[in-house]
Amino acid sequence: MLDALKDVIRKSSIHVCLINTGGCNGCDIEVVALLSPRYDLEQYGIYVHNNPREADVILVTGAVTEQWREKLQRIYSKAPEPKIVVAIGNCPLSGDVFNQEGSSVYAPVSDFIPVDAEIPGCPPRPSEILAAILGVGPDAIAAKGRQKP
Amino acid sequence: MSSVIWYLYEFARKSWAEKFAAAKTDPEIMETPSRFRDFPEVRKEYCIACGACTAACPAPMAIKLIRSSDSAEEEGATYPVINHRGCIRCGFCAEVCPTDPKTILCGENHLIREEFTILPVDKMFIIDDYLCIRCKKCLKTCSQVAGAISEVDNKFVIDQSKCIGCGDCIKNCPVKGAIKGIYINHVEEQKDIINLVVDTLESRIEEDQEKIKKLEPEEVYKIDLPMDDLVKKAREIIRNDEIIQDTIEKITDRLKMRILTWDDEKCNNCRLCVDDCPSGAITYDEEKGVQRNPDKCLRCSICYQTCPFGVAGFYVARFLFSGTLKDGVIHITLKPSQLPIRS
Repeated sequence: MLDALKDVIRKSSIHVCLINTGGCNGCDIEVVALLSPRYDLEQYGIYVHNNPREADVILVTGAVTEQWREKLQRIYSKAPEPKIVVAIGNCPLSGDVFNQEGSSVYAPVSDFIPVDAEIPGCPPRPSEILAAILGVGPDAIAAKGRQKP
Repeated sequence: MSSVIWYLYEFARKSWAEKFAAAKTDPEIMETPSRFRDFPEVRKEYCIACGACTAACPAPMAIKLIRSSDSAEEEGATYPVINHRGCIRCGFCAEVCPTDPKTILCGENHLIREEFTILPVDKMFIIDDYLCIRCKKCLKTCSQVAGAISEVDNKFVIDQSKCIGCGDCIKNCPVKGAIKGIYINHVEEQKDIINLVVDTLESRIEEDQEKIKKLEPEEVYKIDLPMDDLVKKAREIIRNDEIIQDTIEKITDRLKMRILTWDDEKCNNCRLCVDDCPSGAITYDEEKGVQRNPDKCLRCSICYQTCPFGVAGFYVARFLFSGTLKDGVIHITLKPSQLPIRS
């Protein structure tokens, strides 16, 4: 009974934290486009907080630079359970154009924190990001919430 | 006060309340438009394994050439594989793909091929060595801008890979026509305009044939041809006045037209010309006598030099275009040829 109630609440209200680990900002702009009235993320009950302590979903963009290796793990540990990580764009998946020979990027992000969903594209369309968050987010959070004792 | 009442009225409406309660993004916005350039589509049966796509790809992990293992019947095929986690959907691989049909499809840009030119300019500049007086004015001008003109074997040439198409060399050239700016695009249309102008000039001269026949050896015959009809027809071929004017100027500058007249009354049917004619344009018939077929005629002037009775008249016409397309005229100057008559 209590679990069912928790599920409903977890599914209908998702708080999101956006982390740019050293990309070109293109994906961040697409996320901002999601917040705009045209796509209107909040109609689905998703709120962007940029505070990992309040976040259910961590959106990661960027190719993980030297400075971000430690910080990324620290931010991840600060987010409360249940939490999921969505990697947006090609940078957190492969390093994209930054992953040249001799460059100091440490992609993929999955080397540092567990990634639940991947959205390829450089940058992905806002509708692709939205579809990924909605497709993975609510159920994954609810499932993770049930796992905990 | 009135605006407050308007707002109250607006909020009280049922349709507003329904929209407010169920606010959703328009589904059309969420759909991907057809013009969107998605990940490349690979059709591996066309691949020739040239590797152009891997060389053009800006992302290190996006594209790899793969060779499938050989079977007993045939060798394994080579084809590119796109890694979606690295691909940035730029479409470069599809643009460089040399196969026809394309192995890689991405967006629509790479399908546009006729209009594609590596030159950012619409004119190509060349130096006419025949007219060049080697004053080096273009060389000096260009060395300050692009450095594309150089001297090779006592000739001046423009390096097309360096030329930026500014046209400064033409402005400084003291000889008309020594440097030419040629329009690269619309070649077929330019050919059509040239044909149109030449045909028009020829038919205009044809009209005055009777007067031309009566010209004295040293006399010059002049006609002014107005541009109205010509420009109207040229605009039907291409709607670009710059190209029309440029083409007309260039051909009237260099065009030298040979005109051959034929005076049947003077002919005595001696048939000297029939054997001399290299193209067989002149024939003899028992009933009709000696006949000339203008369509076959090369205007080589051999009949004019052969005929002892002056049946054939040979004239040279030159042209000058002055003014603009609107109120310009083509001056036609025609004079009898000074070629010696053999017989």
